[in-house]
Amino acid sequence: MKITTKQLTLCAVLTALALALSYVENMIPLGLLIPLPGIKLGLANIVTVFALYALGPGQALLILLARCTLGAVFAGNLNALLFSLMGGLSAMLVMIALSRLKRLSIYGVSMGGAAAHNCGQVAAAVLTLGNLAPLGYLPLLLGISLFTGTLTGLIAGLLFRAMEHTNLMKA
Amino acid sequence: MKKILSMIVLAAVLCALAGCAAPAKSAASSGGDGASAEIFAMDTVMDLTAYGDNGETALKAAEEKINALEDLLSRTREDSEISKLNAAGGQPVEVDPEAFSLISRAQGLGYAVDSTFNITIAPVVSAWGFTTDHYQVPSQAELSELLTHVDLADIELNPDGTVALKNGASIDLGGIAKGYASDCVSDIFTDNGITSGKISLGGNVYVCGGKVDGTPWRVAVQDPKDETGWVGVLKLKDAFAVTSGGYQRYFEENGKRYHHIIDPATGYPAESGLVSVTVVANAYQTSATGSGTMCDAYSTAFFVMGADKALNFWRSNQSKDPFDLVLVTEDNRVLVTSGLADEFEENEGSDYTYEIVR
Amino acid sequence: MKSSVKLHFCRWDLIVAAAILLLAGGLTFGYWGQTVSAAGSGLTAVVSANGEEIDRVDLASLKTAEERTYTDLGYTLTVEFSPDGVCVETSDCPTQDCVHTGTITRAGQSIVCLPARISVQLKADVGQAASSGDFDVMIG
Repeated sequence: MKITTKQLTLCAVLTALALALSYVENMIPLGLLIPLPGIKLGLANIVTVFALYALGPGQALLILLARCTLGAVFAGNLNALLFSLMGGLSAMLVMIALSRLKRLSIYGVSMGGAAAHNCGQVAAAVLTLGNLAPLGYLPLLLGISLFTGTLTGLIAGLLFRAMEHTNLMKA
Repeated sequence: MKKILSMIVLAAVLCALAGCAAPAKSAASSGGDGASAEIFAMDTVMDLTAYGDNGETALKAAEEKINALEDLLSRTREDSEISKLNAAGGQPVEVDPEAFSLISRAQGLGYAVDSTFNITIAPVVSAWGFTTDHYQVPSQAELSELLTHVDLADIELNPDGTVALKNGASIDLGGIAKGYASDCVSDIFTDNGITSGKISLGGNVYVCGGKVDGTPWRVAVQDPKDETGWVGVLKLKDAFAVTSGGYQRYFEENGKRYHHIIDPATGYPAESGLVSVTVVANAYQTSATGSGTMCDAYSTAFFVMGADKALNFWRSNQSKDPFDLVLVTEDNRVLVTSGLADEFEENEGSDYTYEIVR
Repeated sequence: MKSSVKLHFCRWDLIVAAAILLLAGGLTFGYWGQTVSAAGSGLTAVVSANGEEIDRVDLASLKTAEERTYTDLGYTLTVEFSPDGVCVETSDCPTQDCVHTGTITRAGQSIVCLPARISVQLKADVGQAASSGDFDVMIG
């Protein structure tokens, strides 16, 4: 994988953005609705969607891994790493697959990503808790993922429109 | 240039992956309820829980250590180091190095709190029957005589590793043994790489790390008036918390209640206006080794001292070995020192009034 | 840009949404259909003698109060389990602390009889909603 300085800089900016989004996400009290520790909406997927289209799967994956690791280090909580990695990687894989289907718009891809994100997080909860009880929250989470996926797609789309007028992404 | 950059990125990713892989693995395999054990020792029930690959190993080691400590420190077992020492009639006795250092530590802590915590109170506690469950109110004459043998200075710790109890003194490490045991278990957890666990050794709690999900452990402070109620919940990570209260062991005679925390100055159960004292210390912040031991000794001492003296002591000891307090008074006030302001959650359904002390 | 991006919501996106909803619906039937009877207070009482688990009672599955007796070290305890909580009804131990403890109703609470070395602990079923009064351990 060859990375230009411009791309590297963009990766760094996007990682920082994703970290900020993870932080903002902590302020949303999803835990009140779904009492599973470590569950998150997945707003940081905005960055994954954007990076996937703008920079390709390889660099999007790098940003994701950097975000998960740094997020866990900043929070001082390595257990959360499992949740963010399982969520993030599931979303990533599904979105890579969906983005190959040329008929889907950014909305379809990010909705699929959001749903996969929640599946991955519930899988992490099943692993840490050692029983299947968290599965009970998955239907509700999947419903929520339609909303977050649409939101993520909308924001990433807005980002694209704004960036079209710059030469930032031209390699 | 591009090559160098991509090498750096690659190295960073590899590091990230290595960092990801290890904790993700341990978190995944530490599923379920974790390992837990219930042990009856030191005249109380102990609950221990440890999560992680070495959970079972750590608990086994902890159980062995606790049983070994009981053999070493019990006053009711005739062959313990403490019983041998008490029976030596003032002669120097060579004691196990661990017992020696704990006696030394207990003496030091006792001096620090003006002897309100005093391991030489043993004969007085026995006279009240708290060691045998045959409760009685001793006569004033008997107490006055026994109090002449209560003095920390009667413990002679010799450089050759021997201890002598002068002037007819005898000692009981019961007020510090569980705290010391919690320190030992804390070390065992650390040695076994346990990152999440909790132990409760009869009023002595140690929490290792946070819960598996990373949130703090929720440690409830029992309501002195209601065995199943609580005055508040402490949200703690890597901390020791020890509670002393007169409600824990007591008997009633002629309508008066006598509890087991004896004021070494009077020989009678302490009446300081406090009904429960909880001392909390961070497991890694304390300069001296053994925060659990310190909390155990201080909780007894502060119960004897009363709120004003305890808070003064708290204010003047923040720089060296920081700790925090939750004091419950007879007039239904709960005093929480400022270090716990964010960690303490009031029980809104209770009839207590809460104050943060600074 | 590496690939062209469609920025407008289209019909095909609806298929993704429908697939997700279908999955959610299927899971709802598959999961809650099976476990609806097990949902309830979410409390399990674990009875141990000298540290060994000897009995386990799912309180939610009880319809009425149920008494069971346990014997260890020569002492016998009668324990009453009900959907709302657990108490030691009678005990022939000398201290009677276990009887005096009264009824425990919340996860994390326990009754201990030291002479008999029997304990009853209430544990929350994993995944159960945590309410503000819940705690992991009590000191005092």
